[in-house]
Amino acid sequence: MFSLINPSKIFGWIEKLINFINSIFFIVLSLALTFALIISPPDYLQGDSVRIMYVHVPSAWIALAAYTCIALLSIMRFIFKLKNLNLISKSIAPIGLLFTCLAIITGSLWGQPTWGTWWVWDARITSMFFLLIFYILFVLSNKLIKEEEKANKVSSVIAIVGLVNIPIIKYSVDWWNTLHQPKSIDILKGTSSIHASMLAPLTLMLLVLLLYCALIFLMKYKTEIIRIKKKNIKRI
Amino acid sequence: MIQNFISMNGYGFFVWLSFSITILTCGILYYKTYKTLKKYEKAFAKELSQLSEADRKIILEKSKVANQVFASYNKSI
Repeated sequence: MFSLINPSKIFGWIEKLINFINSIFFIVLSLALTFALIISPPDYLQGDSVRIMYVHVPSAWIALAAYTCIALLSIMRFIFKLKNLNLISKSIAPIGLLFTCLAIITGSLWGQPTWGTWWVWDARITSMFFLLIFYILFVLSNKLIKEEEKANKVSSVIAIVGLVNIPIIKYSVDWWNTLHQPKSIDILKGTSSIHASMLAPLTLMLLVLLLYCALIFLMKYKTEIIRIKKKNIKRI
Repeated sequence: MIQNFISMNGYGFFVWLSFSITILTCGILYYKTYKTLKKYEKAFAKELSQLSEADRKIILEKSKVANQVFASYNKSI
């Protein structure tokens, strides 16, 4: 199974995938932006400010999913001792960090017209802020610790510790009284209280951002593989 | 109509700023990632081209990654 993530074996596929995503990306982006900014109706309560949801919600989902992936890969790294898993984690981290920042910033921009405040230390926002700190620590540990094996260990421990925060973010709106509304979409049950006219642009924006994440991940992963090969050129 | 679209019934500042920040930061990360990838590809290909003919041949035969990076670099110049 692990041979599937062998860098040498999948290297050829990375370029093909990058080219494929590049070829469809702007078509899907144009479609998603048309739906999000023009076709979808304003909300009966929030008016046009609801359109911020189309960047805020997918950003938050991606931030959580990316961190969960990093933490699970870190656990697998300790169990299976596979160095390649670190390359994958390191390639996912900038994506997660970017989307955590975007979720917080767009959330703040949505909060001002909706709640009348840019920021409040409620459970959801505070736990997202902690997620940002864990991302920063993960990225910094990989950048600042010169010895690679030590950097990998430290960053893996940070990722695993931060995993505790993920269910807190997810269920914060159920466990505590917060300004955030309860969840509108239950992925596990496959139910949604959002009208189809708003669900369509939300799904399209999620698709665009997922394509973007795949593109960045593949380019980062390719860079990491080349960096390792360059470092070990004498051993090839 | 265009005026309404831009003002978004008074929410234009918040909506446009959210989308602009998202697109801008995503664009910056893409550009930075792409530049770094090209820098590493170039440096790796350069290192390979500086090797002796015999060493390079062995490496290119043994490593698929080296082979592909070297081939794509040579194609681009």
